[in-house]
Amino acid sequence: MGSVIINNMTKKFGEFTALHDINLEIEEGEFFALLGPSGCGKTTTMRCIAGFENPTSGKIYIGNNEVENIPANKRNCGMVFQSYALFPHMNVFDNVAYSLNIKELNSSNPVKQLAIYARLLNNRLGKHPKAIQEKVMEILKYVELDKHADRLTSELSGGQQQRVALARALVMEPAVLLMDEPLSNLDQKLRHSMRNTIRTIQQDLGITTIFVTHDQEEAMSMADRIAVMDKGHIVQIGTPTDLYSNPSTPFIADFVGTSNILSGTVAGEENGLVIVKGDGFVLRSANKALKDELNVIIRPEHVKVEAVDSIIDDKKTNVIEGTVIMSTYLGSIVRYDVQVGSYQLIVDTTYSSGSNIFEEGRKVKLTVEHERVLLI
Amino acid sequence: MKKLKNSFNGLSVVKILIYAFFGLFMLLPLFSVFLVSFTGQPINILGSLTDPAILSSTIEKFKGASLENYKQVFSNAGYLDGLKNSLLLGFLVTLIVIVICVPMAYGIARTKMPFKKTISALCMVPLIVPTFISAYAFIIMFGRSGWVTEIYNVLGGEGMLLNPYSMAGVVTVQVFFFFPYALWTLVAAFKISDVSLEEASQNLGAKNWFTFIFVTFPLALPGIISSALLIFTVSFSDFGTPIVLAPKELNLLVVEAYREIAGFFNWGGAAILTVVMVIVAAFFFWLQHLFTKGKNYGSVSGKPKQQKLIENKTLTRILSGYSFLVVLVPLFAMLSVALQSVATTWGKDLLPNGYTLDHYKTIFTTSMGNIQNSIMLATGALVLSVIIATFVSYFVVRQNSSKLDFMASIPLVVPGIAFGIALIQTFNTAPLHLTGTAVLLIIAYTIRRLPYMVRSTMGAMRAIKQDIEEAAINLGATPLTAAITIIGPLMLPGIAAGSILVFITVIKEASVSILLAPPEWAPMSLAIFHNILRAEYYSAAAMSIVLIVLVLLLQGAANLLSRKQKL
Repeated sequence: MGSVIINNMTKKFGEFTALHDINLEIEEGEFFALLGPSGCGKTTTMRCIAGFENPTSGKIYIGNNEVENIPANKRNCGMVFQSYALFPHMNVFDNVAYSLNIKELNSSNPVKQLAIYARLLNNRLGKHPKAIQEKVMEILKYVELDKHADRLTSELSGGQQQRVALARALVMEPAVLLMDEPLSNLDQKLRHSMRNTIRTIQQDLGITTIFVTHDQEEAMSMADRIAVMDKGHIVQIGTPTDLYSNPSTPFIADFVGTSNILSGTVAGEENGLVIVKGDGFVLRSANKALKDELNVIIRPEHVKVEAVDSIIDDKKTNVIEGTVIMSTYLGSIVRYDVQVGSYQLIVDTTYSSGSNIFEEGRKVKLTVEHERVLLI
Repeated sequence: MKKLKNSFNGLSVVKILIYAFFGLFMLLPLFSVFLVSFTGQPINILGSLTDPAILSSTIEKFKGASLENYKQVFSNAGYLDGLKNSLLLGFLVTLIVIVICVPMAYGIARTKMPFKKTISALCMVPLIVPTFISAYAFIIMFGRSGWVTEIYNVLGGEGMLLNPYSMAGVVTVQVFFFFPYALWTLVAAFKISDVSLEEASQNLGAKNWFTFIFVTFPLALPGIISSALLIFTVSFSDFGTPIVLAPKELNLLVVEAYREIAGFFNWGGAAILTVVMVIVAAFFFWLQHLFTKGKNYGSVSGKPKQQKLIENKTLTRILSGYSFLVVLVPLFAMLSVALQSVATTWGKDLLPNGYTLDHYKTIFTTSMGNIQNSIMLATGALVLSVIIATFVSYFVVRQNSSKLDFMASIPLVVPGIAFGIALIQTFNTAPLHLTGTAVLLIIAYTIRRLPYMVRSTMGAMRAIKQDIEEAAINLGATPLTAAITIIGPLMLPGIAAGSILVFITVIKEASVSILLAPPEWAPMSLAIFHNILRAEYYSAAAMSIVLIVLVLLLQGAANLLSRKQKL
């Protein structure tokens, strides 16, 4: 087990810079997600940790050891590939036993090595030692695949293949578990249950895990901490709640959850509240403004919709007028698109039976509490 | 500095060795033949690099360089005729093959023709027979005392129906033994041309034949042109048929070049003919490449279109009968060889006078050496090409080495006889005196067949995703261990199928064997060739049958392997 530290890592492919000065500190036992759109460098970061790519500059430490001169096959990073990369000519047992055989191979005399090669090439050419057999069966039982040990991997379902890949990575007791978009090949339902499985196993074994994904929901629901990446930079690192309630840039606000992003100008202060003016709105915020030209972030669920003739005290909360363009009924919530100035704001309201839905074309009043107006 | 150390590992040494191999045994011979075409005297490039005396004589020769040989192409009647005749031969064969194949391809692709499977299977016969054996089979059938001639005379004809020793004979043999190369491309072309367009044409009131000529045919045209160009190259480069059948007065480039080198040791003449051959073959290969670029007629996409097959009884019966006529010619040719191999004597009669296994007995006692030679040479070429092809495909697929990819496909455009001449010329003297050794023969076979082997191993390599290799390394395996335990087993079926094909084509190879094989290493093909020249037809027949049976067995094994691979 170990921590992973990355210092000032830059990676260039020819002229193209894939990673700009990456700094990360991942603690022992932490479940850490690298989140970002495709091409942001998250997979490259992981491949550098695994040793499949060499950073152009910068250092990587795994368990306090600098790994620049350690080749990929000696780094002891268990990796679960996006495509699982199971060996198609081996059955489940042999797939999982592979790393144990290699370990034995490296510590044997030439004659014994031949025997190990033989059983790696064809499992009828030699039996595995008891220690390996027990260990493999134990981990297979753990991922509930002990009954499928003799199956070819192509005969398994997607979820089962995923668990073989996980078992194969875990059996070598890696210092770090690396997972590259492991859920992207599964269907919606299976993805939800695999999230829980992976999280449970990670907690259970207390293994440092780095998880690459482009799916913010996946990252938010599983990870202890998340690093959001964009165009080769780390934009923000934080816990899921951190990222959601205090996004550092409009990109994060947009990428992590849904946001209304308005651009505005600071127009003054009143009773400790910052007044921001923009196209079609004046808002007061309880948050600090760090500059004069800024972005106003409002989460859809922090806005309430009222009839245009209702009386609201605009000293206690923000009130904006707008027109409903579209209302979408989504079961427990109703999503409105409301035109305010040149912006279309997204508003989510909880729906309970009996309450009425504002139809399209209606004028409405929107209210947002002062604390919920984020300025970045 | 660190980068340099990282990139300079075992694999890059292998890469350099492969480049050296191509450079020494393929580029250097072709280049020096090109030089000789100007100087008219052999050039020893390797010697010039090592020995100052040779270098000065080489420089002397360059001073005498001229375009004299190039002028000869247009002034020397033999050369000019050779070029004209070779082009005419290619043109005639191409034209006739396309005319013959279009109805067959249409029948196979578009109709419910009876016996379709049998006909398709019989189309394999020409592909397994080396051309010099098919040429010889035509002598048994159409020669002065052939059984076809006999039938023809009984029916009232005079002389021979078709003189095999003529342009017409060469054309006929090539047509009947090369048509499968075009057929399958054409079948694919007819399959992809759009049925709905044809139905639209019929819906607009067009008759069937009208639809075929104005809709179906034009849609299949790109495929037809592409296969025509392929047939042209194959016919132009073929050595086996002309060397057996072409009479003295019929000049063909391949034969002319062979005579210049084997008969007169006329280096300049052989060189210029080689250069001309390579240029013509490369030009038509390039044209064909241009035509197929971006269009994949051979492969079937994931979702084949459901096609309505024509069921019209009269049409399908006519097509089926016609197709049988075409495929039966090569089949009868082979049966004739088989009959001759067990005949006591076979004069001008429909059937032999008596039957015996004596010829086989003779072969297995006196010619066992040739069989052994063939097997050993083919094994040597197989091992060498497996090693080279595996690494080449690794570099091409994993490291995107397009230079090696190009290098490995050069042999496709060099006719065998041209390559043989280039090799003889280059390795004729010290410091690398390899002419007349088995080593050079094996190298020649290997380079000739490498494109096919590389295609097969490259396919197998492409099918293995990079992350499978990475997974093995991630689990602790060194690259070498990963290669042995993961990549190797996964590539094995592809390598095995490819290497069997190499083995088969080496056994069938005529041009390089005839030019390069020393007497003590004479393979079966050379022995058959000599027997035919010496008019020892019975033992030639028996040896041919042994060769064909060997090829059939290996082909069966290859098919079995590739079927297993698909499962």
